[in-house]
Amino acid sequence: MSTSKPIDHAVPALVPPGRAADRALVERCRAGDLGAFEDLYRQHSRKLFSLACRMVGSPTEAEDLLQEIFLTAHRKLDGFRGESALSTWLYRLATNQCLDYLRSRAARTDQVTETLDEEPGWYQPGQRGLAEQTVSKIDLERALTRLPPGCRAAFVLHDVEGLEHREVAEVLGVAEGTSKSQVHKARLRLRALLRR
Amino acid sequence: MDCTRYRESIHELVDGTLGPIRRAELAQHLDACEACRVLADDLRFVRDTAGSLEAVEPPARVWLQIAGRLHKEHGAAPVAAHGLQRHAALFALAAALLLAVSASLVFLLRDDRADTPGARPAQAGDAVPGDPVQAIAEDIRLAEMHYQNAIGKLEEVARLDQSSGQTTLDPQTAATLQKSLLVIDQAIAESRAALRSEPQNEPARDSLFEALRRKVAVLQDTVVLMNEMRRGNAAGAAQVMDSLNKS
Repeated sequence: MSTSKPIDHAVPALVPPGRAADRALVERCRAGDLGAFEDLYRQHSRKLFSLACRMVGSPTEAEDLLQEIFLTAHRKLDGFRGESALSTWLYRLATNQCLDYLRSRAARTDQVTETLDEEPGWYQPGQRGLAEQTVSKIDLERALTRLPPGCRAAFVLHDVEGLEHREVAEVLGVAEGTSKSQVHKARLRLRALLRR
Repeated sequence: MDCTRYRESIHELVDGTLGPIRRAELAQHLDACEACRVLADDLRFVRDTAGSLEAVEPPARVWLQIAGRLHKEHGAAPVAAHGLQRHAALFALAAALLLAVSASLVFLLRDDRADTPGARPAQAGDAVPGDPVQAIAEDIRLAEMHYQNAIGKLEEVARLDQSSGQTTLDPQTAATLQKSLLVIDQAIAESRAALRSEPQNEPARDSLFEALRRKVAVLQDTVVLMNEMRRGNAAGAAQVMDSLNKS
Protein backbone atom coordinates (compact mmCIF):
# COMPACT_ATOMS: atom_id res chain seq x y z
CA MET A 1 0.00 0.00 0.00
CA SER A 2 1.36 3.40 -0.84
CA THR A 3 1.22 6.45 1.40
CA SER A 4 1.08 9.80 -0.25
CA LYS A 5 3.45 12.52 1.01
CA PRO A 6 0.86 15.16 1.95
CA ILE A 7 -0.78 12.75 4.37
CA ASP A 8 2.57 11.75 5.86
CA HIS A 9 3.38 15.40 6.55
CA ALA A 10 0.02 15.90 8.22
CA VAL A 11 0.81 13.26 10.84
CA PRO A 12 2.78 14.31 13.93
CA ALA A 13 6.41 13.20 13.85
CA LEU A 14 6.10 10.99 16.96
CA VAL A 15 3.43 8.79 15.44
CA PRO A 16 5.00 5.46 14.39
CA PRO A 17 5.21 5.06 10.59
CA GLY A 18 2.78 2.12 10.71
CA ARG A 19 0.19 4.27 12.44
CA ALA A 20 0.59 7.00 9.85
CA ALA A 21 0.02 4.46 7.10
CA ASP A 22 -3.02 3.13 8.98
CA ARG A 23 -4.50 6.60 9.20
CA ALA A 24 -3.89 7.30 5.56
CA LEU A 25 -5.56 4.05 4.56
CA VAL A 26 -8.51 4.68 6.86
CA GLU A 27 -8.92 8.19 5.47
CA ARG A 28 -9.16 6.78 1.95
CA CYS A 29 -11.71 4.22 3.11
CA ARG A 30 -13.77 6.90 4.83
CA ALA A 31 -13.78 8.88 1.61
CA GLY A 32 -15.60 5.95 -0.01
CA ASP A 33 -12.64 4.44 -1.85
CA LEU A 34 -13.51 0.76 -2.06
CA GLY A 35 -10.10 0.02 -3.53
CA ALA A 36 -8.58 1.27 -0.26
CA PHE A 37 -10.94 -0.95 1.67
CA GLU A 38 -9.83 -3.88 -0.47
CA ASP A 39 -6.22 -3.04 0.48
CA LEU A 40 -7.25 -3.03 4.13
CA TYR A 41 -8.97 -6.40 3.62
CA ARG A 42 -5.90 -7.90 1.89
CA GLN A 43 -3.63 -6.73 4.71
CA HIS A 44 -5.70 -8.07 7.60
CA SER A 45 -8.08 -10.77 6.37
CA ARG A 46 -5.65 -13.68 6.77
CA LYS A 47 -5.00 -13.01 10.45
CA LEU A 48 -8.64 -12.28 11.23
CA PHE A 49 -9.82 -15.38 9.36
CA SER A 50 -7.31 -17.50 11.29
CA LEU A 51 -8.55 -15.98 14.54
CA ALA A 52 -12.19 -16.65 13.60
CA CYS A 53 -11.44 -20.25 12.54
CA ARG A 54 -9.77 -20.96 15.87
CA MET A 55 -12.46 -19.20 17.85
CA VAL A 56 -15.48 -20.90 16.28
CA GLY A 57 -13.78 -24.14 15.19
CA SER A 58 -15.34 -24.18 11.71
CA PRO A 59 -13.98 -22.59 8.52
CA THR A 60 -17.51 -22.34 7.09
CA GLU A 61 -18.79 -20.37 10.06
CA ALA A 62 -15.57 -18.37 10.14
CA GLU A 63 -16.14 -17.40 6.50
CA ASP A 64 -19.53 -15.89 7.36
CA LEU A 65 -18.03 -14.20 10.40
CA LEU A 66 -15.20 -12.71 8.34
CA GLN A 67 -17.74 -11.02 6.10
CA GLU A 68 -19.56 -9.61 9.11
CA ILE A 69 -16.28 -8.47 10.68
CA PHE A 70 -15.27 -6.45 7.61
CA LEU A 71 -18.76 -5.09 7.00
CA THR A 72 -18.86 -3.94 10.63
CA ALA A 73 -15.36 -2.48 10.27
CA HIS A 74 -16.51 -0.55 7.20
CA ARG A 75 -19.48 0.83 9.12
CA LYS A 76 -17.40 1.74 12.17
CA LEU A 77 -14.33 3.22 10.48
CA ASP A 78 -15.51 6.71 11.45
CA GLY A 79 -14.94 5.67 15.05
CA PHE A 80 -11.30 4.71 14.45
CA ARG A 81 -9.26 7.51 15.99
CA GLY A 82 -5.84 5.98 15.53
CA GLU A 83 -5.16 5.72 19.28
CA SER A 84 -4.35 2.06 18.81
CA ALA A 85 -2.91 0.30 15.78
CA LEU A 86 -5.44 -0.53 13.08
CA SER A 87 -4.62 -4.22 13.55
CA THR A 88 -5.44 -3.98 17.28
CA TRP A 89 -8.71 -2.19 16.49
CA LEU A 90 -9.62 -4.90 13.97
CA TYR A 91 -8.62 -7.70 16.35
CA ARG A 92 -10.91 -6.16 19.00
CA LEU A 93 -13.78 -5.94 16.58
CA ALA A 94 -13.21 -9.49 15.33
CA THR A 95 -12.84 -10.98 18.80
CA ASN A 96 -16.05 -9.32 19.96
CA GLN A 97 -17.89 -10.64 16.90
CA CYS A 98 -16.58 -14.16 17.57
CA LEU A 99 -17.50 -14.02 21.26
CA ASP A 100 -21.01 -12.73 20.44
CA TYR A 101 -21.40 -15.50 17.89
CA LEU A 102 -20.26 -18.16 20.36
CA ARG A 103 -22.67 -16.81 22.98
CA SER A 104 -25.61 -16.96 20.60
CA ARG A 105 -24.58 -20.40 19.36
CA ALA A 106 -24.37 -21.65 22.94
CA ALA A 107 -27.81 -20.20 23.69
CA ARG A 108 -29.30 -21.87 20.60
CA THR A 109 -27.87 -25.25 21.42
CA ASP A 110 -28.32 -25.00 25.20
CA GLN A 111 -24.58 -25.34 25.70
CA VAL A 112 -23.36 -24.56 29.18
CA THR A 113 -20.45 -22.16 29.13
CA GLU A 114 -17.55 -23.80 30.84
CA THR A 115 -15.40 -21.88 33.28
CA LEU A 116 -11.90 -22.51 34.46
CA ASP A 117 -12.46 -21.63 38.10
CA GLU A 118 -11.01 -24.93 39.12
CA GLU A 119 -7.56 -25.36 37.73
CA PRO A 120 -7.09 -28.77 36.18
CA GLY A 121 -4.73 -31.13 37.97
CA TRP A 122 -1.21 -30.13 37.04
CA TYR A 123 0.77 -32.40 39.30
CA GLN A 124 0.88 -35.79 37.66
CA PRO A 125 4.17 -37.52 38.42
CA GLY A 126 5.20 -40.53 36.37
CA GLN A 127 3.46 -39.43 33.16
CA ARG A 128 5.30 -38.84 29.91
CA GLY A 129 5.58 -35.29 28.69
CA LEU A 130 3.54 -34.03 25.72
CA ALA A 131 6.64 -33.79 23.54
CA GLU A 132 7.17 -37.56 23.94
CA GLN A 133 3.60 -38.31 22.96
CA THR A 134 2.31 -38.00 19.42
CA VAL A 135 0.45 -34.76 19.96
CA SER A 136 -0.16 -33.02 16.65
CA LYS A 137 -1.22 -29.55 15.64
CA ILE A 138 -4.61 -30.99 14.77
CA ASP A 139 -4.95 -32.32 18.34
CA LEU A 140 -4.22 -28.84 19.61
CA GLU A 141 -6.71 -27.22 17.20
CA ARG A 142 -9.35 -29.67 18.39
CA ALA A 143 -8.57 -29.12 22.07
CA LEU A 144 -8.78 -25.35 21.54
CA THR A 145 -12.50 -25.59 20.78
CA ARG A 146 -13.05 -27.03 24.25
CA LEU A 147 -11.75 -23.97 26.07
CA PRO A 148 -14.19 -21.42 27.47
CA PRO A 149 -14.55 -18.59 24.90
CA GLY A 150 -12.84 -15.77 26.87
CA CYS A 151 -9.93 -17.97 27.76
CA ARG A 152 -9.70 -19.25 24.18
CA ALA A 153 -9.58 -15.69 22.86
CA ALA A 154 -6.71 -14.73 25.17
CA PHE A 155 -4.77 -17.89 24.28
CA VAL A 156 -5.28 -17.55 20.51
CA LEU A 157 -4.33 -13.87 20.53
CA HIS A 158 -1.23 -14.42 22.67
CA ASP A 159 0.16 -17.86 21.87
CA VAL A 160 -1.08 -18.30 18.29
CA GLU A 161 -1.19 -14.77 16.91
CA GLY A 162 1.80 -13.60 18.95
CA LEU A 163 0.33 -10.48 20.55
CA GLU A 164 1.91 -9.19 23.76
CA HIS A 165 -0.16 -9.42 26.96
CA ARG A 166 -0.50 -5.62 26.83
CA GLU A 167 -2.04 -5.88 23.36
CA VAL A 168 -4.26 -8.82 24.32
CA ALA A 169 -5.52 -6.78 27.27
CA GLU A 170 -6.28 -3.88 24.93
CA VAL A 171 -8.13 -6.13 22.49
CA LEU A 172 -10.18 -7.85 25.19
CA GLY A 173 -10.71 -4.74 27.31
CA VAL A 174 -9.25 -6.35 30.42
CA ALA A 175 -6.27 -5.75 32.70
CA GLU A 176 -2.89 -7.10 31.62
CA GLY A 177 -2.88 -9.40 34.66
CA THR A 178 -6.19 -10.88 33.54
CA SER A 179 -4.75 -11.61 30.13
CA LYS A 180 -1.81 -13.44 31.73
CA SER A 181 -4.07 -15.39 34.04
CA GLN A 182 -6.40 -16.40 31.15
CA VAL A 183 -3.50 -17.56 28.98
CA HIS A 184 -1.95 -19.52 31.83
CA LYS A 185 -5.25 -21.22 32.64
CA ALA A 186 -5.75 -22.02 28.97
CA ARG A 187 -2.32 -23.67 28.69
CA LEU A 188 -3.01 -25.78 31.77
CA ARG A 189 -6.38 -26.85 30.45
CA LEU A 190 -4.92 -27.66 27.04
CA ARG A 191 -2.21 -29.69 28.70
CA ALA A 192 -4.85 -31.68 30.58
CA LEU A 193 -6.88 -32.18 27.37
CA LEU A 194 -3.86 -33.28 25.34
CA ARG A 195 -2.52 -35.74 27.91
CA ARG A 196 -3.63 -39.27 27.36
CA MET B 1 7.73 -30.80 48.41
CA ASP B 2 5.55 -27.68 48.08
CA CYS B 3 5.42 -27.18 44.36
CA THR B 4 2.48 -24.74 44.31
CA ARG B 5 4.74 -21.81 45.19
CA TYR B 6 6.64 -22.37 41.94
CA ARG B 7 3.57 -22.45 39.73
CA GLU B 8 3.58 -18.75 38.82
CA SER B 9 7.32 -18.88 38.17
CA ILE B 10 6.84 -21.77 35.76
CA HIS B 11 4.26 -19.76 33.82
CA GLU B 12 6.60 -16.77 33.70
CA LEU B 13 9.47 -19.00 32.61
CA VAL B 14 7.36 -20.22 29.69
CA ASP B 15 6.38 -16.62 28.88
CA GLY B 16 10.06 -15.63 28.99
CA THR B 17 9.39 -12.95 31.60
CA LEU B 18 10.95 -14.55 34.67
CA GLY B 19 13.65 -12.43 36.31
CA PRO B 20 17.18 -13.83 36.92
CA ILE B 21 16.88 -14.34 40.71
CA ARG B 22 13.60 -16.23 40.62
CA ARG B 23 14.83 -18.03 37.54
CA ALA B 24 17.84 -19.39 39.42
CA GLU B 25 15.60 -20.40 42.34
CA LEU B 26 13.22 -22.18 39.97
CA ALA B 27 16.08 -23.91 38.16
CA GLN B 28 17.16 -25.46 41.47
CA HIS B 29 13.63 -26.67 42.08
CA LEU B 30 13.25 -28.10 38.58
CA ASP B 31 16.48 -30.05 39.00
CA ALA B 32 14.99 -31.78 42.01
CA CYS B 33 11.33 -32.09 40.96
CA GLU B 34 10.42 -34.18 37.93
CA ALA B 35 6.74 -33.27 38.02
CA CYS B 36 7.43 -29.56 37.78
CA ARG B 37 10.04 -30.17 35.09
CA VAL B 38 7.50 -32.10 33.01
CA LEU B 39 4.92 -29.38 33.65
CA ALA B 40 7.31 -26.67 32.42
CA ASP B 41 8.19 -28.76 29.34
CA ASP B 42 4.50 -29.42 28.61
CA LEU B 43 3.50 -25.78 28.89
CA ARG B 44 6.39 -24.80 26.65
CA PHE B 45 5.31 -27.48 24.18
CA VAL B 46 1.74 -26.10 24.16
CA ARG B 47 3.02 -22.55 23.62
CA ASP B 48 5.46 -23.58 20.88
CA THR B 49 2.92 -25.75 19.05
CA ALA B 50 0.36 -22.94 19.21
CA GLY B 51 2.94 -20.52 17.85
CA SER B 52 3.65 -22.84 14.93
CA LEU B 53 0.01 -23.07 13.77
CA GLU B 54 -0.23 -21.73 10.25
CA ALA B 55 -2.39 -18.78 9.30
CA VAL B 56 -5.48 -19.79 7.35
CA GLU B 57 -6.14 -18.11 4.00
CA PRO B 58 -9.78 -17.07 3.53
CA PRO B 59 -11.39 -18.25 0.28
CA ALA B 60 -11.14 -15.70 -2.53
CA ARG B 61 -14.93 -15.49 -2.76
CA VAL B 62 -15.18 -13.76 0.64
CA TRP B 63 -13.92 -10.43 -0.71
CA LEU B 64 -16.29 -10.72 -3.65
CA GLN B 65 -19.18 -11.17 -1.25
CA ILE B 66 -18.09 -8.25 0.93
CA ALA B 67 -17.61 -6.00 -2.10
CA GLY B 68 -21.02 -7.07 -3.40
CA ARG B 69 -22.68 -6.19 -0.16
CA LEU B 70 -20.93 -2.84 0.11
CA HIS B 71 -21.85 -2.10 -3.48
CA LYS B 72 -25.46 -2.87 -2.69
CA GLU B 73 -25.50 -0.88 0.56
CA HIS B 74 -23.56 2.16 -0.59
CA GLY B 75 -23.64 2.06 -4.35
CA ALA B 76 -19.84 2.18 -4.25
CA ALA B 77 -17.94 2.07 -7.51
CA PRO B 78 -15.18 -0.47 -7.03
CA VAL B 79 -14.24 -0.59 -10.70
CA ALA B 80 -13.47 3.09 -10.97
CA ALA B 81 -11.75 3.17 -7.59
CA HIS B 82 -9.17 0.56 -8.43
CA GLY B 83 -9.03 0.89 -12.15
CA LEU B 84 -9.63 -2.83 -12.51
CA GLN B 85 -11.56 -4.50 -15.24
CA ARG B 86 -14.27 -6.02 -13.16
CA HIS B 87 -17.60 -7.22 -14.23
CA ALA B 88 -20.19 -4.95 -12.62
CA ALA B 89 -22.59 -7.86 -12.54
CA LEU B 90 -20.32 -9.73 -10.18
CA PHE B 91 -20.92 -7.31 -7.38
CA ALA B 92 -24.67 -7.23 -7.69
CA LEU B 93 -24.60 -10.99 -7.99
CA ALA B 94 -22.43 -11.39 -4.92
CA ALA B 95 -24.88 -9.33 -2.92
CA ALA B 96 -27.79 -11.44 -4.14
CA LEU B 97 -25.94 -14.60 -3.24
CA LEU B 98 -25.14 -13.43 0.20
CA LEU B 99 -28.77 -12.61 0.86
CA ALA B 100 -29.79 -15.99 -0.47
CA VAL B 101 -27.35 -17.89 1.66
CA SER B 102 -28.16 -15.79 4.72
CA ALA B 103 -31.84 -16.49 4.27
CA SER B 104 -31.14 -20.20 4.26
CA LEU B 105 -28.91 -19.90 7.29
CA VAL B 106 -31.65 -18.12 9.19
CA PHE B 107 -33.76 -21.15 8.57
CA LEU B 108 -31.03 -23.57 9.55
CA LEU B 109 -30.07 -21.74 12.69
CA ARG B 110 -33.57 -21.05 13.98
CA ASP B 111 -34.00 -22.93 17.21
CA ASP B 112 -37.75 -23.30 16.94
CA ARG B 113 -38.83 -26.33 15.01
CA ALA B 114 -42.16 -27.73 14.04
CA ASP B 115 -41.82 -30.35 16.76
CA THR B 116 -42.51 -27.54 19.20
CA PRO B 117 -45.86 -26.33 17.84
CA GLY B 118 -46.80 -22.79 18.64
CA ALA B 119 -43.21 -21.69 19.23
CA ARG B 120 -42.92 -20.08 15.80
CA PRO B 121 -45.33 -17.45 14.53
CA ALA B 122 -47.05 -18.24 11.24
CA GLN B 123 -44.88 -17.45 8.20
CA ALA B 124 -45.88 -16.57 4.70
CA GLY B 125 -44.49 -19.86 3.48
CA ASP B 126 -46.41 -22.06 5.86
CA ALA B 127 -48.49 -24.42 3.78
CA VAL B 128 -50.72 -25.74 6.49
CA PRO B 129 -50.58 -23.88 9.79
CA GLY B 130 -50.32 -26.32 12.64
CA ASP B 131 -49.14 -29.23 10.50
CA PRO B 132 -45.49 -29.60 11.56
CA VAL B 133 -44.44 -31.98 8.79
CA GLN B 134 -45.81 -29.81 5.99
CA ALA B 135 -44.42 -26.67 7.64
CA ILE B 136 -40.94 -28.19 7.64
CA ALA B 137 -41.30 -29.31 4.03
CA GLU B 138 -42.36 -25.80 3.06
CA ASP B 139 -39.49 -24.19 4.96
CA ILE B 140 -37.02 -26.49 3.24
CA ARG B 141 -38.57 -25.74 -0.14
CA LEU B 142 -38.27 -21.96 0.44
CA ALA B 143 -34.70 -22.17 1.70
CA GLU B 144 -33.73 -24.39 -1.22
CA MET B 145 -35.37 -21.97 -3.61
CA HIS B 146 -33.08 -19.20 -2.32
CA TYR B 147 -30.06 -21.38 -2.94
CA GLN B 148 -31.24 -22.47 -6.38
CA ASN B 149 -31.90 -18.86 -7.31
CA ALA B 150 -28.33 -17.97 -6.37
CA ILE B 151 -26.98 -21.01 -8.18
CA GLY B 152 -28.93 -20.13 -11.33
CA LYS B 153 -27.59 -16.58 -11.36
CA LEU B 154 -24.04 -17.75 -10.85
CA GLU B 155 -24.31 -20.29 -13.64
CA GLU B 156 -25.67 -17.58 -15.89
CA VAL B 157 -22.78 -15.21 -15.16
CA ALA B 158 -20.23 -17.98 -15.69
CA ARG B 159 -21.89 -18.89 -18.99
CA LEU B 160 -22.05 -15.26 -20.17
CA ASP B 161 -18.45 -14.72 -19.25
CA GLN B 162 -17.36 -17.79 -21.16
CA SER B 163 -19.47 -17.06 -24.23
CA SER B 164 -18.26 -13.43 -24.38
CA GLY B 165 -14.80 -14.80 -24.99
CA GLN B 166 -13.29 -12.56 -22.29
CA THR B 167 -12.17 -15.50 -20.23
CA THR B 168 -11.53 -19.06 -21.22
CA LEU B 169 -11.04 -21.82 -18.75
CA ASP B 170 -8.51 -24.40 -19.81
CA PRO B 171 -9.93 -27.92 -20.39
CA GLN B 172 -8.36 -29.36 -17.25
CA THR B 173 -9.85 -26.64 -15.02
CA ALA B 174 -13.22 -27.00 -16.72
CA ALA B 175 -13.10 -30.77 -16.14
CA THR B 176 -12.22 -30.30 -12.45
CA LEU B 177 -15.15 -27.94 -12.02
CA GLN B 178 -17.49 -30.24 -13.87
CA LYS B 179 -16.46 -33.17 -11.71
CA SER B 180 -16.96 -31.21 -8.48
CA LEU B 181 -20.39 -30.08 -9.58
CA LEU B 182 -21.43 -33.60 -10.59
CA VAL B 183 -20.49 -34.99 -7.18
CA ILE B 184 -22.39 -32.20 -5.45
CA ASP B 185 -25.44 -32.65 -7.69
CA GLN B 186 -25.48 -36.33 -6.80
CA ALA B 187 -25.45 -35.46 -3.08
CA ILE B 188 -28.27 -32.96 -3.61
CA ALA B 189 -30.37 -35.54 -5.43
CA GLU B 190 -29.85 -38.15 -2.72
CA SER B 191 -30.69 -35.77 0.13
CA ARG B 192 -33.73 -34.50 -1.72
CA ALA B 193 -34.99 -38.04 -2.25
CA ALA B 194 -34.54 -38.83 1.45
CA LEU B 195 -36.42 -35.67 2.41
CA ARG B 196 -39.27 -36.43 0.06
CA SER B 197 -39.99 -39.67 1.87
CA GLU B 198 -39.26 -38.22 5.32
CA PRO B 199 -39.43 -34.39 5.58
CA GLN B 200 -38.41 -34.43 9.26
CA ASN B 201 -35.17 -36.29 8.56
CA GLU B 202 -32.66 -33.80 10.03
CA PRO B 203 -29.45 -35.43 8.72
CA ALA B 204 -30.92 -35.41 5.20
CA ARG B 205 -31.91 -31.77 5.57
CA ASP B 206 -28.44 -30.85 6.83
CA SER B 207 -26.83 -32.79 3.97
CA LEU B 208 -29.03 -31.03 1.43
CA PHE B 209 -28.08 -27.58 2.68
CA GLU B 210 -24.43 -28.50 2.98
CA ALA B 211 -24.44 -29.71 -0.64
CA LEU B 212 -26.25 -26.58 -1.82
CA ARG B 213 -23.82 -24.43 0.08
CA ARG B 214 -20.89 -26.24 -1.50
CA LYS B 215 -22.39 -25.75 -4.94
CA VAL B 216 -22.74 -22.01 -4.31
CA ALA B 217 -19.13 -21.94 -3.08
CA VAL B 218 -17.79 -23.79 -6.15
CA LEU B 219 -19.70 -21.50 -8.51
CA GLN B 220 -18.58 -18.40 -6.61
CA ASP B 221 -15.01 -19.59 -6.85
CA THR B 222 -15.50 -20.14 -10.58
CA VAL B 223 -16.63 -16.55 -11.04
CA VAL B 224 -13.74 -15.29 -8.91
CA LEU B 225 -11.33 -17.44 -10.93
CA MET B 226 -12.58 -15.92 -14.19
CA ASN B 227 -12.25 -12.48 -12.68
CA GLU B 228 -8.66 -13.10 -11.60
CA MET B 229 -7.81 -14.51 -15.03
CA ARG B 230 -9.29 -11.45 -16.68
CA ARG B 231 -7.16 -9.24 -14.41
CA GLY B 232 -4.11 -11.28 -15.38
CA ASN B 233 -3.53 -12.11 -11.70
CA ALA B 234 -1.84 -15.52 -11.88
CA ALA B 235 -1.27 -15.73 -8.11
CA GLY B 236 -4.93 -14.94 -7.39
CA ALA B 237 -6.08 -17.50 -9.96
CA ALA B 238 -3.78 -20.14 -8.44
CA GLN B 239 -5.23 -19.48 -4.99
CA VAL B 240 -8.77 -19.93 -6.29
CA MET B 241 -7.77 -23.12 -8.10
CA ASP B 242 -6.32 -24.44 -4.88
CA SER B 243 -9.60 -23.74 -3.13
CA LEU B 244 -11.55 -25.40 -5.96
CA ASN B 245 -9.37 -28.50 -5.85
CA LYS B 246 -10.05 -28.85 -2.14
CA SER B 247 -13.84 -28.54 -2.54
